[in-house]
Amino acid sequence: MPVALQELEALVGKPFPGGSYTIEPYRHWLFSDASGAAPTDEGVAHTMEVYYGALAGMGLSVDELFALVGASADDGPMFGEATMEVERPLEVGATYAVTGGIVGVTRKEGRKAGVFDIVTFRLELAEADGAVAAVSTNSFIFPRRDA
Amino acid sequence: MTVEPGTGVPPFVVESVPVEERKTVAALLHDPNPIHFDLSAVQALGMGDRQVNQGPTNMAYVVNALTAWTGDPASVRRLQVRFLGNVFAGDRVSAGGVVTGIREEDGQRLADLDVWLERSPDDRVLAGTATVALA
Repeated sequence: MPVALQELEALVGKPFPGGSYTIEPYRHWLFSDASGAAPTDEGVAHTMEVYYGALAGMGLSVDELFALVGASADDGPMFGEATMEVERPLEVGATYAVTGGIVGVTRKEGRKAGVFDIVTFRLELAEADGAVAAVSTNSFIFPRRDA
Repeated sequence: MTVEPGTGVPPFVVESVPVEERKTVAALLHDPNPIHFDLSAVQALGMGDRQVNQGPTNMAYVVNALTAWTGDPASVRRLQVRFLGNVFAGDRVSAGGVVTGIREEDGQRLADLDVWLERSPDDRVLAGTATVALA
């Protein structure tokens, strides 16, 4: 049986451990290069650093996030939706505080897909003065093949 | 640059999604999902015989199209996407967009757009909306 919906709903509003994320120049270079962008190791960061930083600084590994919602990588979780909002462009070399957690859980059943859960989590990246520079909101889809 | 509703964003084309970069991104993201690097896992899940591109990389292609168009890496203010399908290693994909509106906010001229990533016009793998700052 999959994790009970009530257990998932109880996670809504509970913050992740959080942490910080530094846009290390060499990682920025590699991420940019791997997406076909001109690789750089200084200046304004690629917008995708909002997502990379949110995931890296949330205080959970991706595996731990999966486990938190009763899933694992072997279940074939999928990316459903993603939103990045930028108040202040991120800078290569800068460090951001990351806070947030799960903001929504929905269980659905499709004729072909079977039972699956959509888990949405929202993470803020803040500068040293506390000002929110960017927000990353993401929905992962977790197939519940054992339902 | 004249920008108005209907103005198109020049496509950002990836002629063949590279395999090796999938491994680099999996390591950088600490993403353990084997569909991005282990062919046996892809096959076991019945997902074909090519590695699956990371969703964030698909998003990055759209960002690349937008920032190449504006000429400013800091121009993307908002990007929202839905993932409609998988992109596989070896696929040819094209990211693009079209302006749906122009507005001004706090003295900054902004363009709202529909954006996408597609293998072909009838095979979109990502769709969404974006807001970018115009010079």
